[in-house]
Amino acid sequence: MCYKKEYDVIIIGAGPSGVKSALTCSKKGLKVLIIDSNGNSGGQIYRAPPKSYIKKSEKTFEENLIQLKFSEDLTKNNIDTAYNHTVWQVSPGFKIDAFNENGTIQWNTKNLIVATGTYEKIIPFDGWTTPGVIGLAACTILLKAHQTLPGNKIVLAGNGPLLISVAYYILKFGGKVDAIVDTSSKFEWIKSMISLIFNPKNFIQGISWILKIIFSRVPIYSNSLINKVSKKENGISVEIQNIKNKQIKKLTTEVLAVGHGLTPSTDISRLLKINHSYDDLKGGWIPKLDKYFKSSMKGLYIVGDGSGISGAIAAEEKGELAAYSILKDLKLIDETEFENNTSKVIKKLKRYEIFAKGIAKLNATPKSLIENISNNTVICRCEDITKKDIIHAAENGARNLNQIKSWTRFGMGPCQGRTCQYSVAKIASEHLRCNIKDLGYLTGRTPLRPFPLDKAIGDFEYEEITKVEAAPL
Amino acid sequence: MNLRIHDYFERGKKVKIIVNDETIEAFEGECLSVVLFITNKKNLRTSPKLKENRGMFCMMGSCQECVVLLDGKKVTSCNIFIKDGMEIKTGNLNVL
Repeated sequence: MCYKKEYDVIIIGAGPSGVKSALTCSKKGLKVLIIDSNGNSGGQIYRAPPKSYIKKSEKTFEENLIQLKFSEDLTKNNIDTAYNHTVWQVSPGFKIDAFNENGTIQWNTKNLIVATGTYEKIIPFDGWTTPGVIGLAACTILLKAHQTLPGNKIVLAGNGPLLISVAYYILKFGGKVDAIVDTSSKFEWIKSMISLIFNPKNFIQGISWILKIIFSRVPIYSNSLINKVSKKENGISVEIQNIKNKQIKKLTTEVLAVGHGLTPSTDISRLLKINHSYDDLKGGWIPKLDKYFKSSMKGLYIVGDGSGISGAIAAEEKGELAAYSILKDLKLIDETEFENNTSKVIKKLKRYEIFAKGIAKLNATPKSLIENISNNTVICRCEDITKKDIIHAAENGARNLNQIKSWTRFGMGPCQGRTCQYSVAKIASEHLRCNIKDLGYLTGRTPLRPFPLDKAIGDFEYEEITKVEAAPL
Repeated sequence: MNLRIHDYFERGKKVKIIVNDETIEAFEGECLSVVLFITNKKNLRTSPKLKENRGMFCMMGSCQECVVLLDGKKVTSCNIFIKDGMEIKTGNLNVL
């Protein structure tokens, strides 16, 4: 694709929120670029299969249909797409630097919509670094995008709706679930069902998934967590512990998929020094935004789950609101049209957010999960930093996440704390008996993703280097 | 049991890749980390201090645990798609 240097609007992330923003902006004639590190639109929730996969027949599943619609709509509306491009730097103004396999590229815009979604929260336990232990979200990507079962035998653990959705897809695709290990109780599920009424479509879908799981006689361990995982010759050994009576059950399986909910991706908003606030029911730290998802920085919008976890359907509404706000600022729609368009969307969004709060309660991190982490458990996977190291830093005076980082090297590895920041904060706040908010968050740093220097520099001959005059002796 | 689901999509043609001097078969265009995972080559990188095995974990380019050497260069295998003759090395990649 031949790109322009400057766009009216640039959107980072081609998931449901980013796509909706792009379509809404381009319908009023704005030149839009949408960037994504994946090879296609859809984000993680509707992630497209690899390019080489060719659809066999009309037989399909819902996520795939939605993704195909996204692709079609983006093409129809002449929206420039930069797939397979990873953004590694965003500077105020805005300059967006990205790389792909050929090298680096920079684009400019006055209106930036960040729709970078979420990461999975995975609270550590003994042996969680064992190969064969993967995220629940990773498991859905394997199933839905790559059309592959992760193993012949799988244990699913953690909490929240993803547990049910992953179990459903494994069964649908002919796989076997050895056990579902849920930190929530059955009563907590029933309680959360009340809020599900605000989103009837997901409610009905959820019920049909649960029925399939029940009919397949998958053992469900409620009120339970994974105590320990160890490598065995042909798989892994998983120790399941009941939170209440501490009883332990051992299983041998091939793969353990585990996840404890989602946390907003704040890499870019932290880098741009936007103020953040803490809301556990929205996944942790979230950027401060107005009701149209506009930040305190002129022209910067943060939409989708990156503005607080509320799911894929709500993400579209958020993307749409941000787009209307840009259109109003650029005087492409007047005050009346803006009010008419947004009031409907805000109403819908409010309903979805009640639903999301109900779900979020299922994903609240129970204290037992944090207490269960042993001292020698690795928390920061990149740098091999254990719980003991974090507590040591706290005991010696580290009082916020940045200080713990300097002390231990947690968050200095290639993932920059994306995998462990939440757990480190939980561990430190438990130990220091302080509010997790008081620990703050890691300062945003570039590059947002590691990339090789040779990519940044590109290919050149010695003669092409601009020589500077040598300093006088 | 074949872990690949063939109900909805046709995959690319069969190709061969080399993983630590061993040849394995895969379909062109499949995701590298997924192929390594289901062919039981789950140990990808080695952790820096404890020298523990690590493997595919987040599948969305965030955690960096699935880093391997592809034709001599460090890459996250979760966003690499199989091409015929790719040479992959796993294990301790911190070689200068």
